[in-house]
Amino acid sequence: MPSSAPPPKTNPSICEVKPIMKPVKIAMMGMTHGHTRKYYQTLLENRKLDWVASCAADARAKEVYELYKTGVPCYLDPEKMLAEHPDIEAVVLASANEKHYEEMKFCAERGIHILSMKIPTFDMDEYDKMIEMVDRAGIVCQIELEMHYNPVVKRLQQEIASGKLGRILSIQATNITLSPVWAFPWQGSPEASYGKRVPLAPGDRRFRGGALCDHPHIFDLTRWLTGSDYDTVFAQVAPNLRKELEVEDMLMAAGKLKDGTAFLFDPSWSRLEERLKVPGPGWELFPKRMEVNVTITGEKGMIQCDCFGPNVYHNGAPNDRYTVQYTYFDEWVGLIDEFVDCIRNHKTPKINLKWHRQTIAFMNACYASVASGKSVAVQ
Amino acid sequence: MCKQMNEKLAFLRDKYGCPAGKIVAGQPGCELELEDGDRVPLLPWRVERRFVELKKIVDGKTLEDVSTFRFASFTVGGNPIETAVRELDLAVFLAGSPIDRIFAVGSGNAAYNILARFKNGMSASVECGSKLPTGSDVLDRHEIIARRGVASDRAVDTQVPQSSIYEWTTDGTRTFTDVDTELFGLPNEEIWIVRAAYAVLMKPELAAEWKSAAAAMKRYADAVVRSAAQNQPVDL
Repeated sequence: MPSSAPPPKTNPSICEVKPIMKPVKIAMMGMTHGHTRKYYQTLLENRKLDWVASCAADARAKEVYELYKTGVPCYLDPEKMLAEHPDIEAVVLASANEKHYEEMKFCAERGIHILSMKIPTFDMDEYDKMIEMVDRAGIVCQIELEMHYNPVVKRLQQEIASGKLGRILSIQATNITLSPVWAFPWQGSPEASYGKRVPLAPGDRRFRGGALCDHPHIFDLTRWLTGSDYDTVFAQVAPNLRKELEVEDMLMAAGKLKDGTAFLFDPSWSRLEERLKVPGPGWELFPKRMEVNVTITGEKGMIQCDCFGPNVYHNGAPNDRYTVQYTYFDEWVGLIDEFVDCIRNHKTPKINLKWHRQTIAFMNACYASVASGKSVAVQ
Repeated sequence: MCKQMNEKLAFLRDKYGCPAGKIVAGQPGCELELEDGDRVPLLPWRVERRFVELKKIVDGKTLEDVSTFRFASFTVGGNPIETAVRELDLAVFLAGSPIDRIFAVGSGNAAYNILARFKNGMSASVECGSKLPTGSDVLDRHEIIARRGVASDRAVDTQVPQSSIYEWTTDGTRTFTDVDTELFGLPNEEIWIVRAAYAVLMKPELAAEWKSAAAAMKRYADAVVRSAAQNQPVDL
């Protein structure tokens, strides 16, 4: 401030708000992913972002989007959206897994930064092409694995890193939910979810693409918490709870990390649901519709962790059933903050395509184990 | 204590763009000092997420026809009357109605049991005490009973608050419940103070509302003392 400027009118002990960086012009595409609606509040409130447009995959997705009254215009053609908003710098790809490759290509060719849903693709050749195109375009591509921004997980990581537990010997983790297929039908389609129609195992009428494809979080967290990678895995499916589905809804996986840690994972859709077309109150039949719990045994102690608890509880409307009302749920705030920071400061996101490749390889190894009935090496 | 909280408040102000303000020590609790020197008492329980969710459950008609609040709060030391009036204000916030009568029985400075009636006819009980041994966590419970449904911050079949993380090592058992990614690192009670200050800055009309609520809390404290001394209900 020049010396001739008048003194500030405000109390000098109360610090001023710093000017912020130029907001990132952002858009959403697809609008068919189960996480779509979780972005709305953050995109609207975070002043480092300017949410300028959305583009729905189809008329039905547009209709559902409009129920939320965000005030942000929604298109059905991405070219039209870009023609009307040529200043879009980044896109959240909130679409079915089968759409990700083409959408990523569309963005990379135009130099648009990408926030991808949790499964870029299960096809490893396609996955490698995604890495190439993102590298070539020099854009940020962050994968949406929101558990990294959960405060309980942050504490868990700190406690493990402190060495209090000693060397980690064993991990058990659940990522169990209701099934989203009635609201997001692509998640019950082998082609849309897994990318192609691959039978689970000889003689099994079901195909890859169900609960396993919906729940990569604990596979990713285990790598992050231990600093190790997967060595071998044995996975088995159980009879489906939902007989109509042609994808798996119940499975477990056990195996070893390269550092010798034993693991057991449950990524099932083991909580039944009301078959709502649009998620909302009363969706769950079991009181807690989503759980991510982790148990860790170390040489010097143990930890049990509930990443989404405690909460508040009720048995009121609409169904008078005992229900968990989630109380602490702000993962998307931190996730978007990192995305913006990477774009503006030319950083690489913690969860980028290259990091996430091993998690996808592990998920494919689970399916390979189900198919073979044997423990398999993770490539 | 205020320095760290003010650093976090500055972080939120910077991120979301809100007017200037500073957290300062008040009597009791903390206050927000505004740019013009005005001070607003902070009521952090009104922004604590579990209570915000309970408020949503009441206001959103998940519960229909609320009848009774059953609240409890036991602390390590402290003044049980201060604890009681905080709980009464929380009940007022959830009921959306002022208290018109208080009956209290106490046992020295150790414990108070209170029955309150709201202007809209709802009822509340508040149990509080200050005799938990050093090192204990606050033991509290907030249950709302309605003609349709019951809501609570405690899970069915549990008597004590649950934690997100339980850690067993040779040093004993430790628990953690982290509730806020943006303010990670602050103790939870300070997180809610920062969130309360931020709420007032973002929604200036809260200043008058909270000043009025704080004045009412002083009347509740007087009524608790008077009722306990006279062994009679006190009308407000």
